Amino acid sequence: MDAIDSVFDPLREFAKDSVRLVKRCHKPDRKEFSKVAVRTAIGFVVMGFVGFFVKIIFIPINNIIVGSG
Amino acid sequence: MGGGFRVLHLVRPFLSFLPEVQTADRKVPFREKVIYTVISLFIFLVCSQLPLYGIHSTTGADPFYWMRVILASNRGTVMELGITPIVTSGLVMQLLAGSKIIEVDNNVREDRALLNGAQKLLGILIAVGEAVAYVLSGMYGSVGQLGVGNAILIILQLCFAGIIVICLDELLQKGYGLGSGISLFIATNICENIIWKAFSPTTINSGRGAEFEGAVIALFHLLITRTDKVRALREAFYRQNLPNVTNLLATVLIFLIVIYFQGFRVVLPVRSKNARGQQGSYPIKLFYTSNMPIILQSALVSNLYFISQLLHRKYSGNFFVDLLGKWKESEYGGGQSVPVGGIAYYITAPSSLADMAANPFHALFYLVFMLSACALFSKTWIEVSGSSARDVAKQLKEQQMVMPGHRESNLQKELNRYIPTAAAFGGICIGALTVLADFMGAIGSGTGILLAVTIIYQYFETFEKERASELGFFGF
Repeated sequence: MDAIDSVFDPLREFAKDSVRLVKRCHKPDRKEFSKVAVRTAIGFVVMGFVGFFVKIIFIPINNIIVGSG
Repeated sequence: MGGGFRVLHLVRPFLSFLPEVQTADRKVPFREKVIYTVISLFIFLVCSQLPLYGIHSTTGADPFYWMRVILASNRGTVMELGITPIVTSGLVMQLLAGSKIIEVDNNVREDRALLNGAQKLLGILIAVGEAVAYVLSGMYGSVGQLGVGNAILIILQLCFAGIIVICLDELLQKGYGLGSGISLFIATNICENIIWKAFSPTTINSGRGAEFEGAVIALFHLLITRTDKVRALREAFYRQNLPNVTNLLATVLIFLIVIYFQGFRVVLPVRSKNARGQQGSYPIKLFYTSNMPIILQSALVSNLYFISQLLHRKYSGNFFVDLLGKWKESEYGGGQSVPVGGIAYYITAPSSLADMAANPFHALFYLVFMLSACALFSKTWIEVSGSSARDVAKQLKEQQMVMPGHRESNLQKELNRYIPTAAAFGGICIGALTVLADFMGAIGSGTGILLAVTIIYQYFETFEKERASELGFFGF
């Protein structure tokens, strides 16, 4: 049992610490969450489409390059 | 330390040869920073699409398939190496400095310059080494087929691209842009991948005839062309081997969950010791180490895959090689291999719920490995990156900040109550989210989504600070 305790005690302690940490955490409310979600989504889409359009444009260009190569 | 030999001094002779971006000698306006950032991004994206000249083929199995997402690498293009050289050299230098193998005094200007020079030099050496390894390993066809001339040409192209990435990142870091080039390139690569999977106009021939690759395009195409609308919907939502709408919805869900957890933080009040007694706060986020655990875990797994595949190709049948991993060609084509046995198999995400049910030990092993690895990497990272409780306490002290209600000597103890737990538990949460994303079949992989969201989140935080200081400037 000592062996098992020596394994589980740190885990139990860690779990307790984690729970305390989460309770102590400030959590985002609906307004805050929505604001961040919208802005991050915009950033995500902008970045994604910039890459997307570069890729679209380069498909025909690459066909020309590779075709002539 | 006067007269003592120091490793960093070895770098001094090379400093004059390294390409260097001048530090901004004036305050760069916010708008100019945005422009520089966008230009850098565009250069990177174009390089990601330019095909390598002189390659014979790229149809062989791709040993780097598993980590291209997080390394902003694109097969068969000038940007084949992606950000590998700069990330690897950065990690190596961080580990060396953090573990005191290299003595660096950040208060000495020369030390910082030497450290930067060393990192850049190492990045270039890694680029050269990787380029040579790529060519010699037959990634682009055997050297015999390529010819020596083409082989050298390919190596030069890859090295040149590696240097470009290093310079672009330095440009942004030196104050001309926002954030770091590495983060920007990773995030854009991932976002592009996800948008491409959603809206790709390319068609792929499967057993059901030509189908659009993009999930959204396919949805509309199926609804328009099929007479049986219900079956069309089911097809769009659940089709195999190509991105489908369920994958897209899973991606959105993971996105929202990550954003929610990003907002978790313990806010510790701090006060300046100066006469004004300015009040402030020091937030400790649940995701204390951000996306580092997942980057390190992915790097570990990817390297294990690489080694395992190499060994399997040459020594398959050997007991230890098979123990490390057994591979076979993916039945869905694409040229990549999938692990079917050994350690490599057990640290790979089960491909479906059915797969989990068939082999529950695999699922359990994978889950435990994922969570443990992320927690350990996170805990370790705060020590080597200088963000442990001791380091933070030191920083606050240097800034003449104290915590109300606590004596100065207790600052570290108070921080110790939160930082190690936030690091480890945050790492576990990151791991769990990645597992959840992979199980749900999110596009771009759990790793990719986490990276992209955390990077974009950081970018907005940077934006806020920049604009605040800009307004402050005008406010004068």
